[in-house]
Amino acid sequence: MSNRERVTAVSEKNSPQGVTQQSDESIVDPKLLELLVCPLTKTRLIYNAQTKELISKAAGVAFPIRKGIPLMTPDAARQLDGDEK
Amino acid sequence: MSKAEQSLRESVRKKYAEIATAGDSCCGPTCCSTNQSETGEFSIIGDAYDGVDGYVANADLGLGCGLPVEYAGLEPGDTVLDLGAGAGLDSFVARREVGETGQIIGVDMTPEMIHKARENTDTLGYTNVEFRLGEIESLPVESDSIDVAISNCVLNLVPNKKTAFDEIYRTLKPGGHFCISDIVASQALPDWTMKVAELYVGCVAGAMPKDKYLELISHAGFENVEIKAERRIDIPDDVIAELATEKQISAARASDLHVVSVTITGRKPRVISVS
Repeated sequence: MSNRERVTAVSEKNSPQGVTQQSDESIVDPKLLELLVCPLTKTRLIYNAQTKELISKAAGVAFPIRKGIPLMTPDAARQLDGDEK
Repeated sequence: MSKAEQSLRESVRKKYAEIATAGDSCCGPTCCSTNQSETGEFSIIGDAYDGVDGYVANADLGLGCGLPVEYAGLEPGDTVLDLGAGAGLDSFVARREVGETGQIIGVDMTPEMIHKARENTDTLGYTNVEFRLGEIESLPVESDSIDVAISNCVLNLVPNKKTAFDEIYRTLKPGGHFCISDIVASQALPDWTMKVAELYVGCVAGAMPKDKYLELISHAGFENVEIKAERRIDIPDDVIAELATEKQISAARASDLHVVSVTITGRKPRVISVS
């Protein structure tokens, strides 16, 4: 089993409740994303592997992941542009 | 959040970033830590985890005021939320109790602390301990997902304690519980204490009167609220003399004003009544 398959398999079996992986390319430790929700709206987050951000559509912001740590404070959040929403 | 709350939060973040970066134990009334330490400085800590299984010296910045994990009744496999995790000491001690099948989530609002906690996790090789930057009044944690919430000497530093307890309640599973060590006051602290930044970041001025603190916990919806440990802390005259006037000090002494470190547990009801 390749790494990617393993991550996908784990994601399905042990699905992070608040996070949707955007694509198969998003190789991120599923454990990291478990039980993680937007602090502002308590809603699901979408992981964007390219920007390494967790997107909260409901709040219209993106939270960065730096050195494997999700930065989930209002200060750290980036406002989404119009076409990102 | 009010400007005053924001300003208090920034003072706390700045102080704790300094402590994380310096890597020293925190001493003095200027940060959360009492008792005469080895260096003769005053610090709020009375109990220590050293000697306890899971103790990690690198994660011990001398910032606690109790041993919440000792009274938390953790079971193997539990999912634990550590509020104000700092460099991760309580999280690592808790990891020892919940084992491989458990999960620890540490939240702290100071980036320098979270990075230190993460470094410690990597050194220890734990795969089920993770940290995220976040604020206790708006936790980035799924509702009804946590078995046990722990916290050590942090909530007194949170400006809005009501929201903090409401958030703890939200994240706990029905039947889940918290075990929190914190500093409370014997009575309402006089207004002047809030103007002394050192007393706020030093875990004194943010201390809520004990009865009000317990009331807040009950109002959040918790049941079976119990004080598991309690210890009076007397701040020495020479320490307080640098921060207050003689008149203020004598008024405080006359009314026996003091702070207390407490370790409290409470449970979210299994069945939530709708009224």
